[in-house]
Amino acid sequence: MITAALVIGGIGAICALILGISLVTFAVKMDPREKEVMDRLPGANCGACGYAGCAAFAHELTSNADAPMACPAVNAAALQSIIEVLGRELGGVSQVIACVRCKGGIEEASTRYTYVGPRDCRTAQLIAGGSKGCQYGCLGLGSCVTVCPFDAISMGEDGLPHVNADKCTGCGKCVDACPRMIITLVPKSGNYHVGCISKDAAKDMKKSCGVGCIKCGICADVCPFEAITVSKDKAAEINQDKCRRCGLCVSVCPTGVIDSRRKPDKVRIVPDKCKGCGICEQVCPAEAVTGKLKEPFVVNEGKCIGCGLCIDKCPADAIERKPS
Amino acid sequence: MRSSFKGGVHPPEEKGLVKDSPVVDFPLSSRYYVLLQQHLGAPSRAIVKSGENVKKGQTLSEPMGFVSAPVHAPTSGTVKEITRMVHPVTGLLGPCIIIDADGKDEWLEGLPAVRDPFTMTHDDLMEAVRSAGVVGMGGATFPTHVKLSPPKGKTIDTFIVNGVECEPYLSSDHRLMLEEPDRVLNGARVAMKILGLEKAYLAIEANKPDAIRVMEQKAPPEIQVVSLKVKYPQGAEKQLIKALTDREVPSGGLPMDVGAVVQNAGTCAAIWDACAAGIPLIERITSITGRGIVQPKNVRVRVGTLLKEVIDFCGGVKDAAKLIFGGPMMGIAQFTSEIPIMKGTSGVLVLTEKDTNISEYSACISCGRCVEACPMGLIPSTLSKLGEKGQWQKAAENNLMDCIECGCCTYVCPARRPIVHFIKHLKALSRSAGAKSKGA
Repeated sequence: MITAALVIGGIGAICALILGISLVTFAVKMDPREKEVMDRLPGANCGACGYAGCAAFAHELTSNADAPMACPAVNAAALQSIIEVLGRELGGVSQVIACVRCKGGIEEASTRYTYVGPRDCRTAQLIAGGSKGCQYGCLGLGSCVTVCPFDAISMGEDGLPHVNADKCTGCGKCVDACPRMIITLVPKSGNYHVGCISKDAAKDMKKSCGVGCIKCGICADVCPFEAITVSKDKAAEINQDKCRRCGLCVSVCPTGVIDSRRKPDKVRIVPDKCKGCGICEQVCPAEAVTGKLKEPFVVNEGKCIGCGLCIDKCPADAIERKPS
Repeated sequence: MRSSFKGGVHPPEEKGLVKDSPVVDFPLSSRYYVLLQQHLGAPSRAIVKSGENVKKGQTLSEPMGFVSAPVHAPTSGTVKEITRMVHPVTGLLGPCIIIDADGKDEWLEGLPAVRDPFTMTHDDLMEAVRSAGVVGMGGATFPTHVKLSPPKGKTIDTFIVNGVECEPYLSSDHRLMLEEPDRVLNGARVAMKILGLEKAYLAIEANKPDAIRVMEQKAPPEIQVVSLKVKYPQGAEKQLIKALTDREVPSGGLPMDVGAVVQNAGTCAAIWDACAAGIPLIERITSITGRGIVQPKNVRVRVGTLLKEVIDFCGGVKDAAKLIFGGPMMGIAQFTSEIPIMKGTSGVLVLTEKDTNISEYSACISCGRCVEACPMGLIPSTLSKLGEKGQWQKAAENNLMDCIECGCCTYVCPARRPIVHFIKHLKALSRSAGAKSKGA
């Protein structure tokens, strides 16, 4: 009994000694901030930063004083907290979000045959280019849903993926997974996008889908900022840098294929600051500003499209956005 | 009988439906749909305009590169338009020339130009094959003139005529060898002349004793007729070379790496037409078969004929569940019959519900049957699991690119896993990643 206790206790003591020595000799020196940074990163290991995972990126951030914040998925609070840990500026995070550019769900778009293979868009694409009638449309098998590390995409009953704006971090995994290249990243702050990428002429497209872009070009004509391009063999495309989110295109699109994520706030003129120069009236594309010269001008809220052109042009800084 | 290759399967042959029906000519159609891409390699570009009158055998397109082939007018008539229609191989819209037949079926002036190919020079013969748009007619449609011009440094010592036709159901090569053995044998002799070879094999599977008998009687001494064990995929190029010469094409290599060139029996007949008469590849024999066809037939049909018309010619369909271009093992499922017959269409299969196996697949149980069946010595179970996850890099380490997509693994899988489908998916991922890194 005593012998057994001594032997076991002895083995335990020797092992403890070995462990204790190796703890000191083989210790990996690690910046204590590294763990703190890692805890604040999203932890999805999505790889969108260009490093092998969140741990590798946290190591880069702490060891390299010039490393910028490359993680597109980090939210504002976490970013602030990482800045505090590291004690240096990290630059802004590009706030983008995934958007699905196809509106042809089960109801609207036709299918050519019944597909029975693996439930993955990329494999389905191999069988005669996918079962969808439109060769540009969403196959609806949810490869984007499967790859999303943030659980931000769900397959709707309409057979199309839906992006949860609160969860989406813009990491871009779904963009790579989609064999139809339907998913693009757009500014999170608010945007307009055309829910169709078909290159088919309207008459061919109409055979397979009731809601696609018919390339009529009305949106391009009404856009005051020349942000929309459209041609006979390419669906309308909105240049996100030029787009001022006025929403004129949405109101004129005959098929309703243009989607908006957020409408901008309308503007109002502060009467005390307004010098009555009338420049705002001249630049307004919606004829929403009225007034007499040398007297404060007024914005007709019903007509204002919130494009903000007048704010840019006002020499007296008298125009501001009206929070909704 | 010779030794064979490792692996392989024995699916029901089902050749009885059409193997004894003589080839019938399909009557002249009123409209033809000639696809511009009927071969592997670079596309070809149309050189006729809509409204133009064309004669039978006239060249309609020019190849855009060495590995490419032109297409020719199947009959005389007017070019209605150059448009796009469903391509049976990709399932997407592909460029296509539509010809309205004038019913006269007049040859282009100077055709057929009968001559003796054995007095022609090597370069003239090659040009005749190239300009006739001859491609591999077993289904892979690789341009024949490329196969017949091995690069410098490769010595070719074996020429093999492939009359194996190991795909179940199909009998087009079988009927060709029975009914027109001279075209096949003479074409083979021309190919031997081009390659500068004295000896050749003509390989036929042992389940076609009548064809073996006819060929043994007709074959000149320099062509040795070999009866091969009935086993799928005996007609696959690499397996055929292994069975005949016991040489193994190295991983990632081509038959010419072991000094062999293989041509399908139908291709040999087309080589003969091109060299001895200047006739381009505008018609072929194809088996319209399967229990979903009312009267299965072997039909001699012009390239560009609408499949729907050919099926109607065979009495239409009954209880049809699945339409396949090619054989059941490697053929491509179609969603419409509004597609044209192509140079590589060795058969069209209409299966009934009973003959198809449309069911859900389940997880791999690692039974190893696919490993035993794989004629390339791969581990299909591993590849299929990697395919589910899209891990093409790891699959490439497992010799992904050596898969010949013969379908043996999928055929034997008790979990009914679409293994070849997964492998095609991995290959597509690997190719697109390769294209991306090249572009960057």
